[in-house]
Amino acid sequence: MKAVCWMGKEKIEVHDVPDPKILNPRDAIIRVTSTCICGSDLHLYDGYIPTLEQGDILGHEFMGEVVETGPAVNKDKLKVGDRVVVPFTIACGHCFSCEEQLWSLCDNSNPNAWVAEKMMGYSPSGLFGYTHMLGGYAGGQAQYVRVPFADVGPLKIPDGLADEQVVFLTDIFPTGYMGAENCNIRPGDTVAIWGCGPVGQFAIRSAFMLGAGRVIAIDRVPERLAMAEAGGAETLNFDEVDVMDALREMTGNIGPDSCMDAVGMEAWGHGAMFMYDRVKQAMKVSMDRPLVLRQCIQACKKGGTVSVPGVYGSFDDKIPLGAFVNKGLTMKTGQTHMMRYMQPLLERVQRGDINPAFVISHRVSLDSAPEAYRMFRDKQDQCIKVVMDPWAQAAAA
Amino acid sequence: MRQDWSNNFSDFSERASQSRWPFILAASALGGYALMRRTKTSAALAAAGVWALQRSSRATSPRRYQAKATFAINCSAEQAYSLWRDFAGLSRFLHHIDSVQVLDSQHSEWIAQGPLGKKLRWVAEIVDDQPNQRIAWRSLPGSEVETEGSVEFRPRTAGRGISVTATVQYVPPAGATGRALAMLTGRHPEFTVREDLRRFKAMLEAGEIPTVHGQSHGPRGLSGHLSRSLLRESQNATEPQAPSSHDEVVLIPEKRIA
Repeated sequence: MKAVCWMGKEKIEVHDVPDPKILNPRDAIIRVTSTCICGSDLHLYDGYIPTLEQGDILGHEFMGEVVETGPAVNKDKLKVGDRVVVPFTIACGHCFSCEEQLWSLCDNSNPNAWVAEKMMGYSPSGLFGYTHMLGGYAGGQAQYVRVPFADVGPLKIPDGLADEQVVFLTDIFPTGYMGAENCNIRPGDTVAIWGCGPVGQFAIRSAFMLGAGRVIAIDRVPERLAMAEAGGAETLNFDEVDVMDALREMTGNIGPDSCMDAVGMEAWGHGAMFMYDRVKQAMKVSMDRPLVLRQCIQACKKGGTVSVPGVYGSFDDKIPLGAFVNKGLTMKTGQTHMMRYMQPLLERVQRGDINPAFVISHRVSLDSAPEAYRMFRDKQDQCIKVVMDPWAQAAAA
Repeated sequence: MRQDWSNNFSDFSERASQSRWPFILAASALGGYALMRRTKTSAALAAAGVWALQRSSRATSPRRYQAKATFAINCSAEQAYSLWRDFAGLSRFLHHIDSVQVLDSQHSEWIAQGPLGKKLRWVAEIVDDQPNQRIAWRSLPGSEVETEGSVEFRPRTAGRGISVTATVQYVPPAGATGRALAMLTGRHPEFTVREDLRRFKAMLEAGEIPTVHGQSHGPRGLSGHLSRSLLRESQNATEPQAPSSHDEVVLIPEKRIA
């Protein structure tokens, strides 16, 4: 089968690789019909996250049809022929974490838990296509994928919905939604969201769904700011205005009730603090550039909430802990607890509350993955979200 | 006779070399003497003192490997006890053990991979069996590997599952070095026992042990193989557990497409 493989920093290649097989009794094999590139894949592309190995298959946003199930898969929950969206987190369903609905923290889905424990104390769940520290699972930017614990994660999709309406239930829609939920929004609140990438776009719309009165979206890319406005947000272009001053002005010297970091470790900005982050990263002393997280803490109203769906990898510097403590802030974060949100958000799509396909800017074949990664990373051609068809032939040159 | 004497002597010297006190005493004595005399000789002795002190702090190979780990598991004590008490199935989660064959209600034969490809065997007897509470076993006297182990199951507060503590102790076969024993117990004993318990937990909660061994991937190249050996993930990898996965993988030639 064809699969998108990480071959090194900024080196993506599509290879012909063995088809996946059932390895464990609760596995299933999915024939992939649509698969996407995530903003967090770009951290892998840029080589910032350790424990990737040359040859790893990437991809954690995918959906398709079940073609094979292992002997212990509950046939009432999943059988051959079912059309499913598969969450990017892998969960066993029966550990302390899963039973508490903390699905992205499953105790039993990371075969390399000991590696993550060294870094973090205890290991989160395994993820598809996202380094060996988080399991080393082959990802879904491919024609077939092996899905462990198949009767826990995959969500069945009824007829009448196109792939592009539901494929974002695999990651970015629930991620934006949980980011908004983590803002502790009270009716009428003002929510400031840094980052108008696909997750930020869903976060904006989710914040309104959850009762926000005002959403202020921050970015610098014109087409992304325009998409944010289309979702009802007021926008700030940080290339043109000082975001901190603008937020103070817009909120009457109180600050937003909640601030969301939908950017994460590869933040882009201006000034001395940004240069500090860049230099440390270049010297490999630091993995992350937490510029946006600092701004969220500084800008947030006293007693407010900072929500962090943005991905971070390691130990970070110069976090304004003094501001965090003295303003009495709350921070809520985590990889998305997918299985909590997939069904409710599917129902919203079915009801017509939202059509997630709005975020797609490019539809390409799997063969175009190398170019697509570069285009997405560099924000060329007004790229916002790339969806790939693993079975389409590449267009003739 | 002579063999016994030299074995005894090497036992003594090995035990002595494990202890740090002779070296610390030697270092202090030499250092103190050097401070008093201040001649070239005493400078040399002081240097010897530093060497002796360093030697005392360098890890020496312990004769007796002991390790313990505790895991909280979301199941009942009955379920955990039943899974462990079925000694024939122990090698599914005790990775350093090749197999355990039950001989009778109290005895079982254990086979493990020893140094240089040699198989180590011993017969163990159960010395304590309190259903749903504790199991303890020990190798019979005169065994090739002297070992004892125990596992305890205790309830956690608020009915949130149980706490399982596994303790294991190994003394290496006569004449073996500490390094050979490390091959028996894995990287180091604490790592092995902890990972064994993690696998035990996965079997009880998830019904299977997570694995990616045998999954699909692109060409590894030199860099990929190097990173894999540095991470040493295959040392702790679990075999796939679905029946069909035991078939041979038919690898199609790798081909780059784009």
